[in-house]
Amino acid sequence: MESLTASQARDHIEMVDRILTRSERSLHVGGEFFLAWGLFSTAVTLTAQLVVDRRIPANSLWALPVLLAAAIVFSAVRGRQLGKCKDGLSLIQREFFAVLWISLGVAMFTDIVAYRIFTTWASSAIWTVAAAVVLFFIASHGNRRALACGIILLASLAAANFMPAFTGYALAAGMLFGYAGFGLISLIARD
Amino acid sequence: MDELLLSKIRLGVIAELLNAEWVTFSDLQQATQTTHGNLGAHLAKLVESGYVAEEKVFVNRRPQTRYRLTKAGRSAFVQHVRDMQHLLGKESAS
Repeated sequence: MESLTASQARDHIEMVDRILTRSERSLHVGGEFFLAWGLFSTAVTLTAQLVVDRRIPANSLWALPVLLAAAIVFSAVRGRQLGKCKDGLSLIQREFFAVLWISLGVAMFTDIVAYRIFTTWASSAIWTVAAAVVLFFIASHGNRRALACGIILLASLAAANFMPAFTGYALAAGMLFGYAGFGLISLIARD
Repeated sequence: MDELLLSKIRLGVIAELLNAEWVTFSDLQQATQTTHGNLGAHLAKLVESGYVAEEKVFVNRRPQTRYRLTKAGRSAFVQHVRDMQHLLGKESAS
């Protein structure tokens, strides 16, 4: 029976290690999802803050369900396209999309069913937390941009907590630069 | 050790398939830097042993052959890597 020498075994293990490291680093995240949901979340929080500050009329809030519907439709259509991708998705990509949809789904569910507990800014803060979870998951696969953007989100959360007059602005800035910004950077990097 | 995976090219192919759903022949050829005939022969052995599944599809009206790792292939790979690590552990201990 054939076998390997220790030297050959070391060589083979090093090759396997190189291949696996390369394939794990090639986790392509859907930048467009981050951009769409980041812009939607920014719009929601910013609109709410502007209404609170009486800079825009309260009926502006009616635009938000339209934006939400647009974000959902976009995600569903793009998700179907990715699902039909000719080479399919890698295991790590499927894992990533599972984390993405679970986090957003839980945030949305919480927002809808626990609206008496998570009132006003707490509702926006839930989205910030969910977004940060997704980014830190991506960061755990060696993506430093995701790490930086996750930190931006958490920093916006802390800033919002200590600036009561600007809570909405701080959360909106976090979503814009941390979440939508990550999507934009990912799209640029992919191209 | 798994005799089929003693070949560096076949081991490389399995490692390439490990994190992917389906990988095309041309992508595997590019990744392993082997000739068409050589890779074809190695893949045939992996398919025959049940470590890799083969599928022929049409993409933009062109035929395409793609491959996926099977459960048997994944188990064999894991065991083979363990065996190699065991061998290296024994060598460093002696």
